[in-house]
Amino acid sequence: MISPQNVLRHELIGLDVLVVRAGNPGHTGVKGRIVDETRNTLVISGESRLKRIPKKFSVFRLTLPDGVLVEIDGTVLVMAPEKRINLHLKNRGK
Amino acid sequence: MAMKKSSHPNSRRIARERIAVLFQQARLFFPVNPAWSNRCVELARKIAMRQRIRIERQHRRCFCQHCYAFLVPGVNMRVRIQRGKVIVTCLHCHRQTRFPIGRTHVRGNG
Repeated sequence: MISPQNVLRHELIGLDVLVVRAGNPGHTGVKGRIVDETRNTLVISGESRLKRIPKKFSVFRLTLPDGVLVEIDGTVLVMAPEKRINLHLKNRGK
Repeated sequence: MAMKKSSHPNSRRIARERIAVLFQQARLFFPVNPAWSNRCVELARKIAMRQRIRIERQHRRCFCQHCYAFLVPGVNMRVRIQRGKVIVTCLHCHRQTRFPIGRTHVRGNG
């Protein structure tokens, strides 16, 4: 199942997320559950409303179902969700 | 020469897991926002088509074969049994799908 080794190629919808850094300073600290993913953005359902966060220039802290925290550089996620399965990276953000 | 099937040996296994996760999330999202469930179905179908794997029967039966809306029995789906067929009506597009029952499976898990 989903682990820190395959999180870049696995499903992000349904995971809890915290935006650690973002190109737009107003987006840092956004917290919630991922409800949708497009090539360039993640849609996060937070406490009050939906937030569409660009992947590029953002750092996300994901909580995997087994409780492990993973920090991911959103720039490497800029790819359509169904194409991400074939992603092959040497240096992945931890 | 045989064509290379997938760029990574684990791609199809991950694809199967992702499809299972997506349908699980679709079920959770449905009471909150059915549009998110429909998006999950859309993504699951895209993954299946790209990786050339079948969506398992238990998942294939919970979305409309015509409009690909996520279906929940009694809410937006009508299920009838008639003359050896399960007839599923999608209350979103009002079209029907017939699933034959009691036939030996000669073509995979269809």
